[in-house]
Amino acid sequence: MLKEKIKSTVTELLENKRIDFVIGYGAGSDAGTVRPAFVKSVEEVEQLIWSPFAVNNLAKFVMDHLYENIKIGVIVKGCDSRSVIRLVQDKVFPRENFYVIGVPCKGILDKNKVAKDFDLSGDLVDFTEQGDEVILKTSKGEFKLRKEDYLLDKCYRCETPTPVVYDVLLGEEVAPFRTDDYEDVKAIENLSVEEKSRYWDKQFEKCIRCYACRNVCSACNCRDCVFDMAEPNWVGKAANLSENTAFHLIRAWHVAGRCVDCGECSRVCPMGIPVNTLNRKMIKDMKELFAVETPGKNPEQGPVLGTFRTDDPEEFM
Amino acid sequence: MALENPLLPHIATITKVIDETPDVKTFQMVFDDPGVFDVFKQKPGQVAQISIFGVGEATISITSSPTRKGMLEFSIKKVGRLTSVIHQMEPGMKVGIRGPYGNHFPYEMMKGKDLLFIGGGIGLAPLRSLIDFVLAPENRQDYGKVEILYGARSSADLCFKYDLFDNWPRQPDTKVYVTIDRPEEGWDGHVGFVPAYLEELNPNPQNKVTITCGPPIMIKFVLQALEKMGYSEDQVVTTLELKMKCGIGKCGRCNIGSKFVCVDGPVFTLRELKKLPPEF
Amino acid sequence: MRKGYILKESFKTWLGAIKEKFPLIAPVQDDGLTLFKEVEKVDDIVLDYGITRMPPKDLFFPQTEKMFRIKNKNNVAIELESPEKVTDELVLFGVHSCDLKSILALDPVFTTRFPDRYYQERRDKTYVIGLSCTKALPTCFCTAYGINPTDADGADVHLTELGDKYLVEVVTERGEKLAAAIPGIIFEDTTNLEAEKAKLTEKVKGEIKFIDLTGVKEVLDENFELPLWEKWAQKCLGCGICTYVCPTCHCFDINDFNRGDGVGERFRCWDSCMFSDFTRMAGGHNPRPTKKERVRNRFMHKLKYHLDRYNIVGCVGCGRCVQRCPENIDIRAIISDIKGGV
Ligand SMILES: Cc1cc2nc3c(=O)[nH]c(=O)nc-3n(C[C@H](O)[C@H](O)[C@H](O)COP(=O)(O)OP(=O)(O)OC[C@H]3O[C@@H](n4cnc5c(N)ncnc54)[C@H](O)[C@@H]3O)c2cc1C
Ligand code: SF4
Ligand code: SF4
Ligand code: SF4
Ligand code: SF4
Ligand code: SF4
Ligand code: FES
Repeated sequence: MLKEKIKSTVTELLENKRIDFVIGYGAGSDAGTVRPAFVKSVEEVEQLIWSPFAVNNLAKFVMDHLYENIKIGVIVKGCDSRSVIRLVQDKVFPRENFYVIGVPCKGILDKNKVAKDFDLSGDLVDFTEQGDEVILKTSKGEFKLRKEDYLLDKCYRCETPTPVVYDVLLGEEVAPFRTDDYEDVKAIENLSVEEKSRYWDKQFEKCIRCYACRNVCSACNCRDCVFDMAEPNWVGKAANLSENTAFHLIRAWHVAGRCVDCGECSRVCPMGIPVNTLNRKMIKDMKELFAVETPGKNPEQGPVLGTFRTDDPEEFM
Repeated sequence: MALENPLLPHIATITKVIDETPDVKTFQMVFDDPGVFDVFKQKPGQVAQISIFGVGEATISITSSPTRKGMLEFSIKKVGRLTSVIHQMEPGMKVGIRGPYGNHFPYEMMKGKDLLFIGGGIGLAPLRSLIDFVLAPENRQDYGKVEILYGARSSADLCFKYDLFDNWPRQPDTKVYVTIDRPEEGWDGHVGFVPAYLEELNPNPQNKVTITCGPPIMIKFVLQALEKMGYSEDQVVTTLELKMKCGIGKCGRCNIGSKFVCVDGPVFTLRELKKLPPEF
Repeated sequence: MRKGYILKESFKTWLGAIKEKFPLIAPVQDDGLTLFKEVEKVDDIVLDYGITRMPPKDLFFPQTEKMFRIKNKNNVAIELESPEKVTDELVLFGVHSCDLKSILALDPVFTTRFPDRYYQERRDKTYVIGLSCTKALPTCFCTAYGINPTDADGADVHLTELGDKYLVEVVTERGEKLAAAIPGIIFEDTTNLEAEKAKLTEKVKGEIKFIDLTGVKEVLDENFELPLWEKWAQKCLGCGICTYVCPTCHCFDINDFNRGDGVGERFRCWDSCMFSDFTRMAGGHNPRPTKKERVRNRFMHKLKYHLDRYNIVGCVGCGRCVQRCPENIDIRAIISDIKGGV
């Protein structure tokens, strides 16, 4: 079982002092939630779990250890592994300070979808996967569900379910579910200009400027963020449509070509704003314009907007 | 009738600007509505929020003594946004003032005692309100000997030179000790850090209260030195600096544990300070 | 306190009559979120909601509040225009007991010593109608703080749904004005209704996992340093969610908006002790330099500092922070760690 594999791998890494600590998943408050676990000693390895709800991207936590002489083990799914590439490419955290424990991912359950049909308020005792079914054993009962009906939207279109970078891979490679056709982006593209503007105004109006989307984002890795600056005061601290719009558009451009499409920004948003859809529009356009891959997918490919090529199309000139 | 609004500043005009050091200026200000002076009754050690409209606010100690009526003085070090803008302002220009905020130096408790002021850099600004209060003719007989120990990085960085070398030494029973961090051509005064000079002077704690303000590192070593010399925790008074916004105990920014520095401070005795979590 | 009941069938008529007189703010569905918003139709009100996404504090302490207008001619001529009126009278309907209590927890911050004009006026002009919970969410833990999910404390009028009636408790003088919106619509008779309310209270309480706070304050009084702070802090993103969704958090920033031609305004807006620059001073010194100090500050404030200062709880157990924290930092688990002294 994956949980056991994670534990034995981490135990060995800690015992042999090959890493200083590992960032993995621990049990959360209910069956549908996990909580990051920072495990520093063999005794603490017991805390580590694996869960079909292990959605959190743990890679960015290494940023609390910049400039330290340290080796950090991080458990990453396919999508999260692109964040590792991001942090390495941006020279934020060196590759050699990472010990990447890759988990080939068959898709993560969307807790909001599952909670509509099943009671997730208990603890997750265990789970088993049989074919395309998952049986969740919780303290409030056992639930059997067809995985395909309850995955996170991002998992259906994931391009790299097997991590693109790892030091150890805990399992067999998995193939993508289906290709990413950017349905969500197209749906908005197909709106009229007025409808689009109404749609995004509505979204941006809801924003409470908690900056969770920025703080969780592995592409938002600047030491001094423009949104924290008082001088010059690029974006005012007032939460209103105009400042919020400025915030979102500036952030979209700052991560353009670097956003690895991990979906975390949308997940963490307390107001249900589809932040990631803006970034996916950028990715879609860049793929069309520059024939590039999703950032982080190919370690050889740097950020598109930071790359100069003589054969770049220059349609705007 | 509209309620009173503590967050609405009173308009004031800058009447005088004194260059103290390359990065400190003292601004004398007068309320446009003279009636404000009747309600704005500051005590030594209190602070005000200074506004530049369109820029923002900053917390600044009222450096003038309440015994000097009809104006307020603020000595401001240029460190950031607002303080840089105010450094370009001239007499006749208008700012906002709200306050006075915070507790104040315990000048009642200090009566009959000798006073030792220990300041560093811009930290002399809050002390000055009490020094001038104590030295004012109407109060002088209430206090014993006054000693002032002050230091800055260089002679150019000394604030209030007119007080240090002229006004204060001329007062009865008053001594001023000035030091600079490093030797300097033309300087024949003391050289060395404030805490070291303090140990050298080794002032007797008998019937004395010390009041200290300066950079955190200076305060740290001064407090250590004072304890070593036998000063009790109640004999040592200091004034703290924490980021502030509202000044009136609402915005939650200036807390140290359960205390808000803006209303419960900024003045604390060492005894009170030791009860607080070390978050300042 | 005067008590009575209103028939369910006439309940909306009554609310409608209130809405004729005052803007009515109540929980409504808005783009997938349950939020307190001004209602267009009484029918839009969501009566059986669990918890609103955002707390009602926005009504008294808006996220962004213009304080006054500024006209500044080159710093030589200044005109400040303070609003004559901050708000009209309005009715806030449907507030659950935890949120009612949270208003009482905010009051001493804003209304004692230097009373805050903006908060005070909004508070004075808002009639609050409470609504008992009929079910609890897994994240609810109001009972930890001695709050019953049907408590009327903090409301002007409080309603409890009981079968085909609502029990109406007119808690304050101000509440009378609302109760009288349609004369005769509230019947004075409460036979059996109080007993039924007690039953409902027990039912809902039974759905809540009781968190025992015994000893927590004492541990925090004695210990500033505990290993648990570092343990929890390393999981934290340092975002503003937990403090912005919290009904009792009151921190704000003050800033000037400047159009460039001297015209602008001074506003205040929510701020959070979880942000890294919250206490960072000019020159770089920061008394709470890492996530550990910041996480500790937040929970100390919720469980100790607010109590110390105002003798009223700093957390009301609404569970919003538990629901929304992206990394599942759960105050209930922290309470349990504190009790264990770890
Ligand atoms: C009790 C007290 C007394 C003070 N007395 C004086 C004095 O007499 N003379 C003097 O020059 N300075 C004094 N300061 C420091 C002064 O408040 C800051 O230097 C000033 O706020 C910096 O503002 P800024 O806009 O230039 O800097 P920025 O870095 O641009 O600051 C932005 C905002 O952050 C806040 N802030 C930043 N640093 C501080 C700080 N150290 N303290 C409080 N708020 C801060 C302010 O609200 C400021 O507007 C005092 C501070 C306190 C708390
Ligand atoms: S912008 Fe969103 S999807 Fe893209 S890397 Fe950041 S958190 Fe992930
Ligand atoms: S997480 Fe959501 S509410 Fe918070 S700043 Fe981002 S978009 Fe706004
Ligand atoms: S919501 Fe969670 S992650 Fe964000 S600051 Fe609060 S505790 Fe930290
Ligand atoms: S700390 Fe959490 S549970 Fe307590 S009142 Fe605030 S949001 Fe609700
Ligand atoms: S928890 Fe933090 S943000 Fe909330 S009121 Fe306390 S200090 Fe302010
Ligand atoms: S400065 Fe706002 S609470 Fe102290």
